[in-house]
Amino acid sequence: MSAASSSMPFFGTTTREENQNQMLQQPTSTPASSIAPTTAPPKKRRNQPGTPNPDAEVIALSPKTLMATNRFICEVCNKGFQREQNLQLHRRGHNLPWKLKQKTNKEPKRKVYLCPEPTCVHHDPSRALGDLTGIKKHYSRKHGEKKWKCEKCSKRYAVQSDWKAHSKTCGTREYRCDCGTLFSRRDSFITHRAFCDALAQESARHPTSLNTIGGHIYGNNHMSLGLSQMGSQIPSLQNQNHPSNNMLRLGNPGGPKLEHLIQPSNPPYGAPPPPQHLSSSAFYLPDAANQPFQDHQSHHHGIPFSNKPLQGLMQLPDLQTSSNNSSGGAGPAAANLFNLGFFSNNSNATGSISPDQFNDGTNTGQGGTGLFPNNMGDHIGSGMSSLFGNSVQHENIAPHMSATALLQKAAQMGSTTSNESSNLLRTLRASSSNRAAAAAAAAKSDRQVMSPNSIQNIGGVENENHLQGLMNSLANGTSAASMFGGGQGQDNTFGGFSGGGGGGVAEAKLHQNLAASFGGSDKLTLDFLGVGGIVRNMGGGYSQRDLQHQQQQHGMTSMTSLDPQLKSTQGSQPFRGTALQ
Amino acid sequence: MAPVFQDEGSSSVTSSPLQFFSMMSLSPTIGSPYPWLRELKSEERGLYLIHLLITCANHVAAGNLENANIALEQISHLASPDGDTMQRIAAYFTEALADRILKTWPGLHKALNSTRMSLLSEEILVRKVFFELFPFLKVAFVLTNQAITEAMEGEKMVHIIDLNVSEPAKWIALLQVLSARPEGPPHLRITGVHQQREVLDQMAHRLTEEAEKLDIPFQFNPIVSKLENLDVEQLRVKTGEALAISSDLQLHSLLASDDELLRKKSPLPSKTINGTHLSRVLQMNQSTLGELLEKDLVNGYSPSPDSASSSPLSLTTSVKMESFLNSLWGLTPKIMVITEQDSNHNGSSLMERLLEALYSYAALFDCLESTMTRTSVERLKVEKMLFGEEIKNIIACEGAERKERHEKLDKWIQRLDSAGFGNVPLSYYGMLQARRLLQGYGCDGYRIKEESGSVLICWQDRPLFSISAWRCRK
Repeated sequence: MSAASSSMPFFGTTTREENQNQMLQQPTSTPASSIAPTTAPPKKRRNQPGTPNPDAEVIALSPKTLMATNRFICEVCNKGFQREQNLQLHRRGHNLPWKLKQKTNKEPKRKVYLCPEPTCVHHDPSRALGDLTGIKKHYSRKHGEKKWKCEKCSKRYAVQSDWKAHSKTCGTREYRCDCGTLFSRRDSFITHRAFCDALAQESARHPTSLNTIGGHIYGNNHMSLGLSQMGSQIPSLQNQNHPSNNMLRLGNPGGPKLEHLIQPSNPPYGAPPPPQHLSSSAFYLPDAANQPFQDHQSHHHGIPFSNKPLQGLMQLPDLQTSSNNSSGGAGPAAANLFNLGFFSNNSNATGSISPDQFNDGTNTGQGGTGLFPNNMGDHIGSGMSSLFGNSVQHENIAPHMSATALLQKAAQMGSTTSNESSNLLRTLRASSSNRAAAAAAAAKSDRQVMSPNSIQNIGGVENENHLQGLMNSLANGTSAASMFGGGQGQDNTFGGFSGGGGGGVAEAKLHQNLAASFGGSDKLTLDFLGVGGIVRNMGGGYSQRDLQHQQQQHGMTSMTSLDPQLKSTQGSQPFRGTALQ
Repeated sequence: MAPVFQDEGSSSVTSSPLQFFSMMSLSPTIGSPYPWLRELKSEERGLYLIHLLITCANHVAAGNLENANIALEQISHLASPDGDTMQRIAAYFTEALADRILKTWPGLHKALNSTRMSLLSEEILVRKVFFELFPFLKVAFVLTNQAITEAMEGEKMVHIIDLNVSEPAKWIALLQVLSARPEGPPHLRITGVHQQREVLDQMAHRLTEEAEKLDIPFQFNPIVSKLENLDVEQLRVKTGEALAISSDLQLHSLLASDDELLRKKSPLPSKTINGTHLSRVLQMNQSTLGELLEKDLVNGYSPSPDSASSSPLSLTTSVKMESFLNSLWGLTPKIMVITEQDSNHNGSSLMERLLEALYSYAALFDCLESTMTRTSVERLKVEKMLFGEEIKNIIACEGAERKERHEKLDKWIQRLDSAGFGNVPLSYYGMLQARRLLQGYGCDGYRIKEESGSVLICWQDRPLFSISAWRCRK
């Protein structure tokens, strides 16, 4: 340790070379004793307190002197210099007496400097730094104010040269993560890496699973897409005004356009993009937005959900449908989704939806409202019945229902129209812009999961508490069987499903129960009313008449009017068809 | 009006099982194991399963095991852990319901579980998979780290207490953010609490490695302890350091264990908390009341489903939680970030919990269904070993055993507020990052909702996790 290890540097050139690295920062003091270099690693750079060290002079400067930029002032022109030598050279120009310190044969006196900050480790003479510039920089960096701010990235520096060095490279460098994402800023890159790194190991272990979900936290290009989108969407809001186009360099030419394609269903910040953006988005055929909607429809009708152009462009293996659909928040795509069922079945049902309606809808920029135009009373009914009713017949487009949707449907069956007569319409409209997109999003996977929201839209039962209350009242009140059977049914509780008793009898029973229970309008009656909901649902979807009745009235009349409906649709009922026969 | 109907409804709980039984017995006559069941389409089957599950749960709640058994058998023909979403859910819920029944025969229950081993490595793995498959924890981490970074701006000595050490990625991310902060990195100390030393060791290793790489003065302070046994003294909070506390999906476990004591001491008062129930009980004839009480004791739940969940009493009863929060408050953290499951799984009645759990796990299973293939091993693992176990805990367990007492954000707000914490709204920048992250996920079902300064992460419209930040209110 100690003297021995720090002894050598200035005797014998070989050792000096060896130690050069350390010397750079901290010339060590010359020791008095000349012990031969030992095997101890010449690592120690400390002046050991207490060791005789005649040559090294410990200098403690006050912060003020330390930070004074030009300590050596020329008495003639008041020009300041950082070093005395420079002042001397300057004096020579004034023809003043000057004197450069000569290199003597003697080793120059070594000086070490203390950091003036008492809490700093370098305040201790044993840790003093070996040169003045070093201590100055140290003091500024660690204890000084960071006066120099990079305009590009807001990073602050205390030492001007640090700032200069940074400024030269700031923004010019790109940080590329192994996952392929590019960053122009170090801090965002670091944040990204933190998760990416940690996940990379795991993704190696579960490659498939992660790929399917874009498993990295900031993932592969999905994330970059997201970033680019955010970048451009809210440039003014972002404090660090980093150029968003940096983020867009993704190697796929469609970058900027993709923004619109993966428009979030509910743009978090800022207004939804103006409608004209839609026309420029790559997904739609050129000048698409100005064409009657029917055109898209026919296009999609041919290849539902395939979206070839998008696929090529986006390189998002499984997600093309999702991104496509999610753009529905901004316009037609949601309509697309819905109308797949809507239109294709339309030929069977009403077949009279004019393209104009959709044009109107889309031009407003609120896809949702466009979805179900005002005169939906005429169309929506058939659209719905085709969505549900025909799903049985058209197996190929039958969606798989998510568990959430099933639960909501189940709750709905136990539920009923709410007291507000226009509930259905309102919910449809109010929720459409969000919900439609949500539905679209949920329907994206290979297995076309039907979102709960689409069900909600169609059923028109919204309020979660409502559902909740219903489920509860079901569960706590009558036996749960009432959900599917009559609340008071004596022996047909399972009638809906069991298939034991024959459809006709069960149906008659149900109606009796319904009629009996329809009188009241309080909580429990809701429950019983709900049975009506079941019957309707089981009856293979709403018809237009059902809807109207549902909106306008509830009570006995609506039920009686349901009767013929039930009978006429019996053939295509999902439940009757399979369960009861 | 309402009470009359309710009474009818509730009395049918006791009378319906018999009818039900007769109905059920009809079915098998059609042919051995109900061939028509097989032909059900996914949607029909799903609805039927929900119906059966609720029926079954009602029987279980009523202590009507014969009928519960029949319902379970019916479900078994339809449910499957590798089928569609509802089939999977039904499989786990029936398992949980069956477990609950079995617990009335403790010997049997113990015998059946006698070879059950909980492998630490498996547990860790499944948590890891959960972390990966879902964005929830990642979003939570991003928000937590952002909140901490903001709160610790300019601090030179930072101490973070992690009440449930899990994922190194979280703190590695923070280390990197701190190392890049303009004023330079602070001296950082992380205290990790976990009951398994191995987990802590691994964490310590990863973090010190990273801190060395980044040249941040760092110290990891492991505490091998269960959260419930944690002594705040062990945390060794020093004066002069800025303290942050972070808890991920952990705090709710402290809600356990109180209710059972309370209920055992005084079973009647808990039932008669509000007047309607009292009158209801009085209206019933004696035998029903007796039956009810008996069932209650057997099943360990209160017959009034809404007494605990909706009354403010539920908050005050959790003594353990209260004292723990108070002791945390005593540490005067600059910031405390809490991530919790945002579900109401702490109802006192089985039915209440079952219905709530059905909804929230349906959403979780739906997430998996729409992002993963049905055959994925990771998916099966998470469903079985994480969700399945949670469901089992929620449904089958009572009292101190019931740890998965997830509660909604508003309850947490109430609770933390009364413990002297003030809400710190999560910053715009944090939410921005969180949203980015979700968008990067490429799956549109995930949403972020802002609610009174906190964040709810949702699947579609259903909130699943909440993240909120707090500081000591002076």
